[in-house]
Amino acid sequence: MGSFIIINSRTSLKHLCPLLRRPPYHQHTLQNLNNHPYCTKRERRPSEHHATKHTERTSFPKSVFAAGNARRTAEILKKRSGSGQDQVNTGSQKVRTALIAEIPDRVLSTSEWRDLKSRISRPERFELRMIEGMLSADTDISIAKSLLNYVAAENKTLPYELLLKYLALCVSGGHHSEVSDVYDIMKSCYKTLDTGAYSLFVKGLSQTERWREALIILEDLKKVIAPSSRNYGDAVTGAVLHGDRETAWSLYGELMDQGLTPNQETWRCLFESGVSQRAHTDQLLAILNYMRENQIYPEEKLSRSIKAWFESLPDENWRGTFTSVDPRGVCQSCGTQLESIQLTDDEYVQLKHRVMEDVIEGQDVFNKTTPEELESFKSFVKKRPAFDVIIDGLNVANITPKCVKSETLLAVVSELQGLNILVLGRKHMQHPSRNWNRHDMNQIKQKAHCFFTENISEDDPFLLYAALHSGNHCNFVSRDLMRDHKACLPDSATRRLFFKWQRGHQLVLNNFIPGKKIRFQRTSVYDTVVQNSGRTWHVPYDENGGERSTYEVPQRWLCLCNDV
Amino acid sequence: MLLRVHTVSVMRRFLSPACTLVKYHAPNLFTSCSALTPSRSLSTGSVLRKDAPQQKPELDLDVWKSVMRSQVSQDDKQKEDREAETGGEEAAGGGSPVERSRTLVDMWRQAGKQVPDDVTEEQLETLAELTTKSSKRKYLRYLAIKEGHKKANREKKEKRKTERSVELVKEETGLEDAEEEGEGEPKLKNTFLMQFWTRSADRLLGWRAAQAMLYGQPLVYDMSYDQHMSRREMENTISQLMETEGWNRRSVDSFHLHFCNLQPDGAYQRELLRRYGQEAWDRLFVTATHQRHVDLFPREDLVYLTADSPNVLRTFDHTKVYIIGAMVDRSIQSGASLANAKRLKLSTARLPLDEYLHWEIGAKNLTLDQMIRILMTVKETGSWEKALEFVPKRKHDGFHHHRSKDTVERTEKNNQPSFKEGERNPIFLSKQRQKHTNRSDVASKQTVGLSENLSGQSRLRIALKSKLEEGRKVERKRNWWEED
Repeated sequence: MGSFIIINSRTSLKHLCPLLRRPPYHQHTLQNLNNHPYCTKRERRPSEHHATKHTERTSFPKSVFAAGNARRTAEILKKRSGSGQDQVNTGSQKVRTALIAEIPDRVLSTSEWRDLKSRISRPERFELRMIEGMLSADTDISIAKSLLNYVAAENKTLPYELLLKYLALCVSGGHHSEVSDVYDIMKSCYKTLDTGAYSLFVKGLSQTERWREALIILEDLKKVIAPSSRNYGDAVTGAVLHGDRETAWSLYGELMDQGLTPNQETWRCLFESGVSQRAHTDQLLAILNYMRENQIYPEEKLSRSIKAWFESLPDENWRGTFTSVDPRGVCQSCGTQLESIQLTDDEYVQLKHRVMEDVIEGQDVFNKTTPEELESFKSFVKKRPAFDVIIDGLNVANITPKCVKSETLLAVVSELQGLNILVLGRKHMQHPSRNWNRHDMNQIKQKAHCFFTENISEDDPFLLYAALHSGNHCNFVSRDLMRDHKACLPDSATRRLFFKWQRGHQLVLNNFIPGKKIRFQRTSVYDTVVQNSGRTWHVPYDENGGERSTYEVPQRWLCLCNDV
Repeated sequence: MLLRVHTVSVMRRFLSPACTLVKYHAPNLFTSCSALTPSRSLSTGSVLRKDAPQQKPELDLDVWKSVMRSQVSQDDKQKEDREAETGGEEAAGGGSPVERSRTLVDMWRQAGKQVPDDVTEEQLETLAELTTKSSKRKYLRYLAIKEGHKKANREKKEKRKTERSVELVKEETGLEDAEEEGEGEPKLKNTFLMQFWTRSADRLLGWRAAQAMLYGQPLVYDMSYDQHMSRREMENTISQLMETEGWNRRSVDSFHLHFCNLQPDGAYQRELLRRYGQEAWDRLFVTATHQRHVDLFPREDLVYLTADSPNVLRTFDHTKVYIIGAMVDRSIQSGASLANAKRLKLSTARLPLDEYLHWEIGAKNLTLDQMIRILMTVKETGSWEKALEFVPKRKHDGFHHHRSKDTVERTEKNNQPSFKEGERNPIFLSKQRQKHTNRSDVASKQTVGLSENLSGQSRLRIALKSKLEEGRKVERKRNWWEED
């Protein structure tokens, strides 16, 4: 019953999405002119024939994997459901503004601070609350200083926490000389500092002349805890800022050795340092390859630095443009065909085994199925010829609540007729009921192969396995983003491989209106990843302000061309 | 201003640490002086930092620095003295991971992070084993919260103690006023009722538990989930099991608890022994065994209760042996217990939560102690409405009982006008069945299966039981009278 509920909620969310997704897309109309749905009646793979037929539809929703889609959908859904969330936000906002309102807007003398404290209703932790408020309100540092003066006069000393907060204020405000003063004081007062203070000092001091001391602090930090990539990044920034490239690169190497993922800021810093000085070209290109291997997309800021670096290369004539890629996978700036999203045979075999071992079997076969069922499915798949398309029966049937479920499923199956279809479902679909018409189900069984799992088994993993087993030409129809199954895969490399395959082979049904022609969102034919073809580099990047979910890929590209 | 700075430094240089009082007040004094006298013509800019824009030149914003610095010079001397005594030890201990985590805890405490005041050696070792910063932070936060609860409890107890002692004193003085003979000892009330001591209650409950071990309906806890749980989850499981045992002991008609699949040196056993202590554990009226439940009971009697089951437990069957997975999953592990049931081909059931409660969002798993209270209540009263009172209110939006109650009453009155006493329970079952056929057709099949399984013998037993309960449950009795 639990999974039953999940399905319902999932679909109820989903059937809203495409309805709502339309309006914001009008600006993309031009770009989508070339899009057309996955057309099934005429040929198997649309990708080979893209150039031939262009004119079927003008506005066509972007793929669910396009950046920013999830956020837009969420916003629209939130608007629909009312502003329950906002009330919570205003509550915490109120507390915050009240706190900030308490903070004086000018420098106070000791006695004035004393007055203020005596007037306030909650005198406990007064000083700390004050400085926290200053930190969040980004107040002028002199007010904080006057507060410290007051505390020092009252208590003859300053508590560590207060100093720490003051330090944070200095670092965030960029008061470098103040940071080094605080460093001297704290260093002499306390034998060891906490990790937060270390991090702040690394960040603060690396901006000053004393940046080498930041490296010493980093060493101290290592004794307590493994430094984060941000700590390393700050140190690298410090070294670059003061012209010591060797140190910067050795620190960067150390960061990579720790298995940490560098910050984009660090990379930007390194690329910018590369502009002015000709060295470390290989290392900078290695960063791009690292992005490719780990499927990291640079932010717009970093992509600008990369562009500037390429254009500054003296002996070569690189030209960078920010562009997009048309649906056939052709760069609209230089006309290069981008890498195909198809997996190699080896990758297919690897992915298939991983899905079988980690997604279906997992730690315990009984979690998602039973051994008998798995065996019968394996032999079922083996006996049939390779499928062309696999339908997630329950997911498709639940697309619209208005229709009888079996009717919806039958409509989709009929649309895909002519292909070798497999419909996956659960056994309860076979029992005739209001939602599952016996006649419809019989027709489905005539038009497609069917496999029904037990009601308490999961059907999605079987779908994935069957699709992978059938090979490259096989697509699957589902609205499920399969994230829970992706998460079962053990390492990030396999997960990326899975995602690549998914983007190329998942047919997402658009808004389904009974009686009308059924359309699928197009699958991507090119891989969205940093790529190099000798004389060109193509770097997909995240636009500013376009919040991308983890299961989405950027739509904007930086095209770098070397015109000799 | 320049002059002032000089004097401060001069004073610092020449004053001995003994007269710090004067020294500390010096800058302060000067500030107030300068605020009063408008005769300052010296530039302040040379003293103040460039990046601290100054609107009110009469305030020196860096006084705190000199205060701190002077404190250091004073501290240094003390420290040197101290280090002369303990210096060797600290240098030696500083390298070990435990020592390092101790300093980490100290520093985090100073930095105002949520950290416990006292950390044991054992906890430090666990802390040192954690690799990431956030895991360390979370662990310490957890310890801090636990410590806070403990402290609050202790304070509460002490407060109550003092209150009581004050009261006692008052009473005594009052008594002495009344009758001179009172010799300070707590007086026994002169009453015809026997004093009911705590130990008498314990004995009574002990007897009841012993009786349950002989005649009670078995309830199995499946202890085969050690692989699925983290250390903390295991601790929580055992806490909940202890509470379960407590509730069961106090119930009117206890279950015979079975802890099955309990491996002799497994995590469950270790934690149970740690919490109960060997002696209490040995005396506990619970059947703990390493055997599987399928080896102890006939397969067809076993029903695995799991939230993931497709079947709904409509009626509580007094002849079945219900199994509960002894697992706490803080991150929801759906299907873990269902997988176990599937493996052993046991029938499964879930509580009728959706049928009785408005509960749309959130995982429908319950804690072990909630589970036993629900089962106990439904066993005693047969009413899910009463039983599901023990589902935490925060999780759901109340019962949809108005509708169901009406329908039940109507069907009762229309279809079954009068009954003989012995048939009560089968009727009760059938009325449940009817109620649910109205609601959903899928699940009702299960109920039919359950009620048909009732053999004649069990029917008799239920009838006996209901007779016994009759005396206790006045409310229910009244309902029956009404029916008759």
